[in-house]
Amino acid sequence: MSDTFNQPGQPDVPASPSFSAPVPPAPPAVEAFSFSGRGSEYFRIWIVNLLLSVVTLGIYSAWAKVRRLRYFYDNTTVAGTSFEYHGNPMAILKGRIVTVVLLFGYQFAIRFNPLLALLVLIAAGAVLPWLIWRSLQFKLYNTSYRGIRFGFRGSAAGAYKVYLWLPLLTFFTLYLLTPFTHQRIKRFQHTESRFGASHFSFNGSVGAFYKTYLVGFGIYLAGFIAILLTVGAGAYPFGGAGEFERTHIFSFVLVILALYAWTFLMYPLFLTLMQNLIWNHTRLGEHGFRSEMRWGRMMFIAFTNIVGIICTLGLYTPFAQIRALRYRVESMSLLPAGSLDEFIADNEPSGSTVGEGMTDLLDFDLSL
Amino acid sequence: MRTAATTSTATPVQVAAFYFDGKTSRRHVVTLEVTGDMARIYSSRESPAEAELIERVCPITQLRVSERLSRAARKVTYPDGAYLEIQDQGAFAALLETTRHRDSLVVRMQQNWRATLAAAAALVILLAVSYLYLLPAAAGLIARTLPASVERRIGAGALDFLDKHILAPTALPAAQRAAISTRFSALTAGMNAVEPIPPYEIVFRKSRIGPNAFALPSGQIVLTDEIVKLLNDDDAVMGVLAHELGHLQRRHLMRRLIQSSAIGAAATVLFGDVSAVIANIPTVLLDMKYSRDVEREADDYAIALFKANGMSRQKLAYVFEKLGEKEAAGGGVPPYLSSHPASAERVQRILNAH
Repeated sequence: MSDTFNQPGQPDVPASPSFSAPVPPAPPAVEAFSFSGRGSEYFRIWIVNLLLSVVTLGIYSAWAKVRRLRYFYDNTTVAGTSFEYHGNPMAILKGRIVTVVLLFGYQFAIRFNPLLALLVLIAAGAVLPWLIWRSLQFKLYNTSYRGIRFGFRGSAAGAYKVYLWLPLLTFFTLYLLTPFTHQRIKRFQHTESRFGASHFSFNGSVGAFYKTYLVGFGIYLAGFIAILLTVGAGAYPFGGAGEFERTHIFSFVLVILALYAWTFLMYPLFLTLMQNLIWNHTRLGEHGFRSEMRWGRMMFIAFTNIVGIICTLGLYTPFAQIRALRYRVESMSLLPAGSLDEFIADNEPSGSTVGEGMTDLLDFDLSL
Repeated sequence: MRTAATTSTATPVQVAAFYFDGKTSRRHVVTLEVTGDMARIYSSRESPAEAELIERVCPITQLRVSERLSRAARKVTYPDGAYLEIQDQGAFAALLETTRHRDSLVVRMQQNWRATLAAAAALVILLAVSYLYLLPAAAGLIARTLPASVERRIGAGALDFLDKHILAPTALPAAQRAAISTRFSALTAGMNAVEPIPPYEIVFRKSRIGPNAFALPSGQIVLTDEIVKLLNDDDAVMGVLAHELGHLQRRHLMRRLIQSSAIGAAATVLFGDVSAVIANIPTVLLDMKYSRDVEREADDYAIALFKANGMSRQKLAYVFEKLGEKEAAGGGVPPYLSSHPASAERVQRILNAH
């Protein structure tokens, strides 16, 4: 618990396995991830899921989630084999019921008695890391590739440190520690994940996270200024003082809209930068990963997606999700250091259910 | 299907598959064939990569087949977690034909455009019916069943908040205030026989946002100096109070709370992962209808109260004519009229009521 800082720029050296004899050159080819899901097919799954969820007053939503994730996993392929999702709908349903009860309890408490609401909020804060921890276990345990299950061995204490203690610290230091906390969260998630008996490792440094945040913020600022100088210049032309006509108001609204749209696009921007940063510093045993997303492309996808969703009153949503997911998945590749046939399973008890529903509603996933 | 037994005599259908034993990630190239009720896999002898030959026989009833998707490989899972991955969709479909395997209803719907479009139509109809009938009915029922104390607690503190931000102490003479309160309680006495009158309290305030009157869940009816002055007519002021009492009597505040929460939740489910702002747009638009509905109900209540006391409905209509004028002139009225039915329509309704 006391290891607050690793020296930035000095990556954790992955524990070299005993059998790593100097591997001869000619490493196996890069294995690109591919995604065979299609919007038209996912649309059908989505609409049937939606109908059944509405008819059953939300109960079916747990089964809907399993069908959705199975569709995504089954269509994600690397090295000729696809992933598989094993989540049990009943487990997810139980988690969702707990989440809904907690949220309703909070809503009720807040209307009746602010003090009670505060207590509920504190209790929720105390429970949340545990729920995240359980749901990480649930999610990884229920994912498999080539018949080998993933797993998560991180401790509850570790989860409390990165999901409660560090965020509190970040809050009280005016969010200046955000990249640091983010790095610690990702390091926790990725070093504690395993595939069968093999461990993932993560060597993204705190410095790299600060740099990525600065780059992202710099791009945001540059775009912000560019909008003010181009669109904004139309709203307040130099010299044309006094005439405040309709066109001015129109341009002013345009500036606000453009700034809002640009701010909205910060999500795909950060998602891109983070996915690249995180996966380019993650290894599974000696195998590496590469993520080559381009933020311009991802922003374009996100922007056209939202325009499509608005214009079709939501019917484009499944197409939009597939389009974004496909780009994210197909930007990834696996850099095998040897044969992929050597992983062995590691049998451990399964993850529990409650946290799964919780993070589903709150949606924590910042990256793949 | 009984035909399964007869097919067993024919040459079994063979399908190429990858086999994973669930213990290592090694990929074995095998052939799958089904004879009768047994599924057999075996590794091909030509494959030099296989150190040992694989052969496994398992009753098909113990195997679990993944759902059919148009482009993903099918998976067949053994009870011990070992599984087969099959790329050749066509050959595997032919093999499944010979077994009793049948896609579930949901899968058949998902893989059929006609069923999907029917589902979409059913969804739209269901949402429309829920929005127009089910939700208002359910919310009304819940609002009537909940004890009044719940509503009161929700509203506690609302007046304090308003006093701090948009209201100021009244400047109306005490005599005028007393006259209004006394007269209104006399009017409601007649109404009590028809429907019980909920406990209420008339609160006089000066407003910073123009002529207005509104009911709070706590049972307080706030009447602003500005609206009293604007109407300048005692009967009309009674009309305003009657309308607000209608909101209290019909539990409109609780109903609106339930309805807008339900719509908000539905919009979040449908659009929440796109953008919170966009999820709010349909919520606000859809909620407008409910708002107008309860305004009409409150108008009806006011009409009934006027009728019970033998008062002229013209006075009630006058309230909305007056507010409508102010609205047309671009005055500061909108708070009272926004999300309300158009004034002209309300005047017509009041005058045409029987």
